[in-house]
Amino acid sequence: MITAEKLPRSFSVKELVKTQQHNIREYGMYIAFVVIIAFFAITTKGVFVSSRNIGNLVNAMSYIAVLAVGMTLVIVIRHIDLSVGYLAGFLGAIAAISLKYWHVPVLPTILMVLVLGIVAGLGTAFLVAKMKIPAFVATLAGWLGYRGALQLATQSTGTIIIENDVFNALGNGFIPDIFPNSSMLPGIHKVTLLLGLLAIGLFVFGEIRNRRRTQSYNFEVPPLNVFLLKSVFISLVIAVITWILAKYQGLSWAAVILILVVLLYMYITTRTVIGRHIYAVGGNPEAAQLNGISVTKITFMVFGSMGLLTGLSGILYASWLRSASTIAGAGMEFDAIAAAFVGGVAVAGGVGKVSGSILGALVMASLTNGMNLLGWDISIQYLVRALVLAGAVIFDVATRKKAS
Amino acid sequence: MDAESKTIPVVEMRNIKKNFAAVQALKGVDLRLNHNEVLGLVGDNAAGKSTLMKVLSGAYIPEEGEILIEGEKVHFTDPLHARRLGIEMVYQDLALANNLDITANVFLGRETVARQIGPFGVMNSHMMEQDAQRLLERLKIDIPSVRLLVERLSGGQRQAVAIARAMAFNSKVIIMDEPTAALSVAAISKVLELVRELKAQGASIIIISHRLEDIYSVSDRLMVMRNGRKVRDCPITESIDEFREHVVAYMIGARDDFAVEEVR
Repeated sequence: MITAEKLPRSFSVKELVKTQQHNIREYGMYIAFVVIIAFFAITTKGVFVSSRNIGNLVNAMSYIAVLAVGMTLVIVIRHIDLSVGYLAGFLGAIAAISLKYWHVPVLPTILMVLVLGIVAGLGTAFLVAKMKIPAFVATLAGWLGYRGALQLATQSTGTIIIENDVFNALGNGFIPDIFPNSSMLPGIHKVTLLLGLLAIGLFVFGEIRNRRRTQSYNFEVPPLNVFLLKSVFISLVIAVITWILAKYQGLSWAAVILILVVLLYMYITTRTVIGRHIYAVGGNPEAAQLNGISVTKITFMVFGSMGLLTGLSGILYASWLRSASTIAGAGMEFDAIAAAFVGGVAVAGGVGKVSGSILGALVMASLTNGMNLLGWDISIQYLVRALVLAGAVIFDVATRKKAS
Repeated sequence: MDAESKTIPVVEMRNIKKNFAAVQALKGVDLRLNHNEVLGLVGDNAAGKSTLMKVLSGAYIPEEGEILIEGEKVHFTDPLHARRLGIEMVYQDLALANNLDITANVFLGRETVARQIGPFGVMNSHMMEQDAQRLLERLKIDIPSVRLLVERLSGGQRQAVAIARAMAFNSKVIIMDEPTAALSVAAISKVLELVRELKAQGASIIIISHRLEDIYSVSDRLMVMRNGRKVRDCPITESIDEFREHVVAYMIGARDDFAVEEVR
């Protein structure tokens, strides 16, 4: 018998704690997030949680959150990408030029920018995986290069104003409503409400189905009351957010894009072979290679996806500002990296969830937004964000040490 | 399996030669592993035992010699190729991803796919968990949950997971490189128990170890290597003291009476 300690096979609290240890970090983050929201809700006398503010908050964080998703996977495979900020800015400028001066329609413009993003990402991957240049150096070169490229692209024109309404709707617009003038539920965005209900339905259905399947395979599941508590809590959160958004102009296109990206990446990372291999490469590249996983291939895929998301981020940013400026994207890479670390991604690689990074992005965006509402000086804002980042990583390291 | 196929060795390596620059690491080595046999492989550092095993597992391609698996001649091109033909290696550093759970490690690189969506194979997680659980039960490895992360396991448990992985896919031969190195005494006896269990379930095993008592307690036959040659190959019949004395004599070259033509 190969065992260090005898534990009963049946369900026990001790075992739950043991298997759930790695989730404790995550719960800590959710609690911190709720505390931050509560703090700003009270200190701003409700302005922070007003429909209008939440709507703006989501739009203003979407382009960082999209980057944070890609950055999560880059850090998981033990690399870093410093070039994404200016690359996003540069690609946004390309989009603006394409729309304004080349008169290319919106859809081809977007596709072109996304493809260029992928190409840029694969270029980084080539330097990292094939030329064996440390990602820090390779992407620092990218940071310089894309900064130069952005200035070159906007040199003759300065800030390029984008006048295409369809393009600008991506970062500012809201999804259309049905019967906006009907007497039923006046002032409420009914499509948003329906989507919220649909989301709750799908979530509850998925949770029940997963629980049944787990049981059918004879694996233990959490006790029913824990399960119910969790399901009701998350359903309530979705309901509240839906209601807040529906009271204003509904779900924004940026939010829709962000939700789709997050769901897609959560699915890929948790359910697919490629996702599993990404984490294997992050945990132990030699072991992954010995087990037939191509580290080179995974590196190309992860940087390629980072490039794709950088293109998307550039589009969202340019659309949100309705323009491309000569300094677009400056510092975005650090916001994305900070979001990932606040969200529990481990510096050493192998550990970190997409959902965590999104939460990290939300925390950082909420801080900025809340402190702006309170009129705090920008210097104080930086200090607070520094403390939150350091605190999150300290908490992360401390709980990790305890767990092992 | 019929009686005839049992008489054909599961692995036969003939006159294997491997050079590294000017160094002749293997000078024409023969190796034979019978069905359901545990072969102990010992030798001092640089005797060539690891090199020989890397040739068998496809990591090195030999300059000369041939490899037969169940009587069929094979030419391995890489470790995956050898693995597909049923040669599993349990590496000394275990080659586990500590950030993943037991199931993920058992199926690493060979995940069960429920369906394919474009480039994305969707894993059948429940199936893999169930299979991993059954595998641990079959090998009598007592770990409470296959959902435990490997980083939370003890050294002995990790070794057990690495060995279980080698057994997961109908392997013909399992090569273990120093499976008891860096383990506590209690963990060593458990790993040896696991090796006996694998044999009881019909596995054919090659085990490399510096710990002669471990080899003695689980092996049917012993092969000693020195300076890239095989210097002794015989069933284990003596007492542990005689065994140790003989083996050490061959390992250090005090005795060298094995009938091997010097290879030129």
